[in-house]
Amino acid sequence: MSSIVIGVGNEFRRDDGVGPAVARELTRLGAPAAVSDGDPVRLMETWDGANLVIIVDAVRCAPSTPGRWHRTSLPHSIPAASSHGFGVPEAVELAEALDRKPERLIVFAVEVADTGFGTELSPAVAAAVPALTATVLSELGR
Amino acid sequence: MTHRPNRTLQVAGLARVEGEGALHVRTVDGEVDRVELNIYEPPRFFEAFLRGRDFREPPDITARICGICPVAYQMSACLALEDACGVEVGGQLRALRQLLYCGEWISSHALHIYLLHAPDFLGFSDGIAMATEHRALVERGLALKKAGNSIMDLIGGRAIHPVNVRVGGFYRVPTAEELRPLAETLRHALDNALETVRWVAGFDFPDINAPHDLMALRDTEGYPLDRGRPHVSTGLSFPANEFGVHVVEHQVAHSTALHARLDDRLFLVGPLARYSLNSGRLSPVAAQAAADAGLHSVCRNPFRSIVVRAVEVVYAVDEALRIIAEYERPAEPCVEVTPRAAVGHGITEAPRGLLYHRYELAADGKILSADIVPPTSQNQSAIEDDVTHVVRSYQHLDDHALQSLCEQTIRNYDPCVSCSAHFLDFTRERA
Repeated sequence: MSSIVIGVGNEFRRDDGVGPAVARELTRLGAPAAVSDGDPVRLMETWDGANLVIIVDAVRCAPSTPGRWHRTSLPHSIPAASSHGFGVPEAVELAEALDRKPERLIVFAVEVADTGFGTELSPAVAAAVPALTATVLSELGR
Repeated sequence: MTHRPNRTLQVAGLARVEGEGALHVRTVDGEVDRVELNIYEPPRFFEAFLRGRDFREPPDITARICGICPVAYQMSACLALEDACGVEVGGQLRALRQLLYCGEWISSHALHIYLLHAPDFLGFSDGIAMATEHRALVERGLALKKAGNSIMDLIGGRAIHPVNVRVGGFYRVPTAEELRPLAETLRHALDNALETVRWVAGFDFPDINAPHDLMALRDTEGYPLDRGRPHVSTGLSFPANEFGVHVVEHQVAHSTALHARLDDRLFLVGPLARYSLNSGRLSPVAAQAAADAGLHSVCRNPFRSIVVRAVEVVYAVDEALRIIAEYERPAEPCVEVTPRAAVGHGITEAPRGLLYHRYELAADGKILSADIVPPTSQNQSAIEDDVTHVVRSYQHLDDHALQSLCEQTIRNYDPCVSCSAHFLDFTRERA
């Protein structure tokens, strides 16, 4: 069974880069991972042919516990902290309409502290990256 | 009662959009009192961010301004920096740049035509709703977009924010062998592009003509893309280094994006301007597609911009195929560029219109100042004028229909706010 992890976010908007940070870590460890800006068409193209798709995205909560993550298969209920108008929920809807939704879709939504300009993750979110990476690896069966 | 003398249409923006936008329309005593398009765009920030950086960095830094047209930013940046350093990139290196740019045009236009603009004409709330009923159509649009992406992947190293572009050329250039599979993809894309023109030509278009001056590049040959001289429908033409003399930006209270005037007049850039000033420069297959779609040599109806975009996709695919057929791998992936104390200007045609960059360099290549004028900010005043015209002409419509038409009017220009326009809240208040 083929699988892919997609880290969604903008690495230049601080904690919004948590998805890409996890994806980079997974790539370093030899796991199938990609980075996406969350554009639904590109997301769909990225997961084309994969049975298991795992998405790691940032989520803004109020109040927030930065670094805490939620595992879900229902991205509709999660407002992603992307700077784009379309995001993961729209990608899933579009894929449904076109019959291109993956067999299994898991979303890890990471609560963030700061999505201002900058390339550094805030300390609490950066600290969550290794454990989240390990969790995603176990989802992949690795 | 829909035809009220006093009414306010308020389209408020949501967060999570690339370029936050909102629209405010007010009529008093049946007259359009105020039309304001509020946009937030980040180029000012980038300009400050570029000061003090090395002259080799802008192609990668400015690519980040837009996720849909990063190549446009890279091309204008390279052109401006090479101008400052007294270098011209020609031959096969330039051809590869054109090829990369064609990929972006195909990808950006296909996205706008199919997922953002066509739903307006067919009465769907968005591209996803349209996909539910017209799966084959949307699949065709996505296949076209993917063909554009595949060019960007191959030449640019990746489709979003390509990494292979540098001042002077590329880091690595492909072999002719590597380009061959791309030609196969593009031959199929040409069929899809021609079908797209036939499809959109059949839409219903409000009968509106934009009176603004039109500005686009004109090159010594071919349809304008990666170089050329600004030409205006009034007959004016000027070199890139006089751009700042003619195009003057000013602040308005209701928007953090700057507005612009061309010699103190309203003007527009983008597909309508490009086409109207260069329709005779299309390749034979694109010119035939335009004629079959009922386009004359000049097109001033902003609603028909979807047809012009479709014709430009045909041109870009055709041009990409020509470049690939004639390609010979250059001996070096880039020409050497040595910095010097100078000012350079670069203008190229982004999918949304003319994109200007200006850099001032110190002798050691450090950037002293940077200026970027994106197409959407140049078009902002013209968009507001169009909306004013639409509201005046369609006052008999109820608020819902009028709001939709206003949003469609904005989307005619494919501004960066178009993604958000489908998600906007709408409130109405009586003045």
